[in-house]
Amino acid sequence: MTKRVRGGGPNRSHRAYRTIMRGFRGVVALAVGLSFLFPLYIAGVTSVDTPADVFVFPPHLVPDFDFQPYTAMWHMAPWLMYFGNTAFITATTIAIALATSVLAAYALTFIEFKGRSALFMLVLFVLMVPAEALLIPNYVILHQMNLLNTRWAQILPYGGSVFGVFLLRQFFLSLPTSYWDAARIDGASHLRFLWSVALPLAKPVLFTIGLYIGIGSWNSFQWPLIVTVSHQVQPIEVAVQRLMSAHSVDWRRLSAAGIMATLPLVVIFLFVQGAIVRGLSRGEGLHE
Amino acid sequence: MTQRPLPESLTIQTSAVRARRRHDIGHAMVLLLPLFAFLIVFTYLPAAVSLVLGFYHYHLLGVNTTFGGLGDFKEALTYAVFWQALRNTLVFALYMIPATLVGAVAIAVLISEKSRYYALLRTFVLLPYITPVIATSIGWLWMFNPQYGILNAMLHWLHLPQSQWLLSPQLAMPSIALYTLWHGLGFDVVIVLSALSNMPHHVMEAAAMDGATAWTRFRRITLPLLSPTLFFLAIITTIGTLQAFSQIFALTGTQAVAGGPENSTLTLILLIYQTAFDYFHFSYAAAMALILVMIILGLTVIQTWFSKRWVFYQ
Repeated sequence: MTKRVRGGGPNRSHRAYRTIMRGFRGVVALAVGLSFLFPLYIAGVTSVDTPADVFVFPPHLVPDFDFQPYTAMWHMAPWLMYFGNTAFITATTIAIALATSVLAAYALTFIEFKGRSALFMLVLFVLMVPAEALLIPNYVILHQMNLLNTRWAQILPYGGSVFGVFLLRQFFLSLPTSYWDAARIDGASHLRFLWSVALPLAKPVLFTIGLYIGIGSWNSFQWPLIVTVSHQVQPIEVAVQRLMSAHSVDWRRLSAAGIMATLPLVVIFLFVQGAIVRGLSRGEGLHE
Repeated sequence: MTQRPLPESLTIQTSAVRARRRHDIGHAMVLLLPLFAFLIVFTYLPAAVSLVLGFYHYHLLGVNTTFGGLGDFKEALTYAVFWQALRNTLVFALYMIPATLVGAVAIAVLISEKSRYYALLRTFVLLPYITPVIATSIGWLWMFNPQYGILNAMLHWLHLPQSQWLLSPQLAMPSIALYTLWHGLGFDVVIVLSALSNMPHHVMEAAAMDGATAWTRFRRITLPLLSPTLFFLAIITTIGTLQAFSQIFALTGTQAVAGGPENSTLTLILLIYQTAFDYFHFSYAAAMALILVMIILGLTVIQTWFSKRWVFYQ
């Protein structure tokens, strides 16, 4: 009773309850967060195990830091070549897709002409076409173009990005029209305005689009698997898969290859996480 | 008299405008050409081809493309493995949709707080989303290993019966769903988080003042306001699930043939891939692809229709 008068009792226990709940939430959240890291950790531990620690039950969870699997794995395949292929395919896809998106989005925003909205609808129509419907016809088309089993076969089908056109158009629409009027009065052409005014302002959007196209291209597996046979033109994901399906491959080396292929993306992710999150919240649903 | 020059200047102006318009439309076409070149060759044309390819007998090397009518469709619909693949595909979607929606909302609510600690946890949750599927499947393959894997070790510590995971026809598909959730859930969590950050705070505070419990606030305010986002995620998850290929290929490919054991993880897209690119039955595969497209279309229509009952737009 007296406690209540002093105002401590129920309030204090309520505060204690809230503190406990906060702590509890923090612990549960930590467990959830770590469970997403755990599979990567397991692969990491396996990749630096000593041979004696691989086939044990229960599995041991403390790394041995034996880097022999990495050197052994490195000599099993021309990894630099595969990395080079992946990097070339990714960079070229980003460059082409950004260029086509910028030009088209500009025309669809700043130039008035008959049928503009119809053309934009035609671009958006691409989103309605399911990817699985394109798998076989695109293979046939690349066969007719004599491009099967090349790096270009992994680049050209991704040369037009609806996601890119859409986001850039959204951005261009948000620019004040007075910019364009002022440039026009100064006698600037469309290309001049695009290059000197619109593009520099669009840098963050270009970065987001490039990032998404890049991650998709770097991680692509199904299409390279279908359109390539020669190791010389294959990306790293296909090479890793071949190592997996080769029987009798040492688990430590396999894990080392997996970590090696994952690491570049993790490093990039840590730098650009903010842009990824912003892009996801901005362009909901368009990148799939 | 004074009015005389007016029409003249008007005509001059309109022709100038018209000239600039024509000039402009030329510009626009030049700027749009690169994009449309790619879209025509790699989207519009193949989309049109996909509609008819199933009706023809097409051979990559042969010249004799002949009309096959509905033959390939009939064959697909009477092929037991096709039905099994269809069932597997739908079962996979049935695991993935509720797990994704519940998981994304639960985790998003759990880690939505603004602090460095929770920001770090959000990083952890999103991280798998950007990792390459084949490379990260290796770690999971090891975790699923019945003899030495960590998952059976956990069951062992909990005194539960151990399992065969990817080697069991009953558990192989749920195992793949588990990997898929690990890999993709971060995306859904970020979408829900951004929807949560747009919630009207004053409504929440007013409800809290009126004595609504946290659960009531979640049930009566947060969830209805989230429903358009959840509907969007349901559609995206359905489409993504029916396209799932790499993880099934990687996680089951080390067995005799991808899609095992006993075809229990053989999905339609995997069957289409094998039919077209292992056996080179292009028109047969194209017919199956067209059926799959119809199914996706149907599911989207059903979900859209169903959504009118539970999606609440502000």
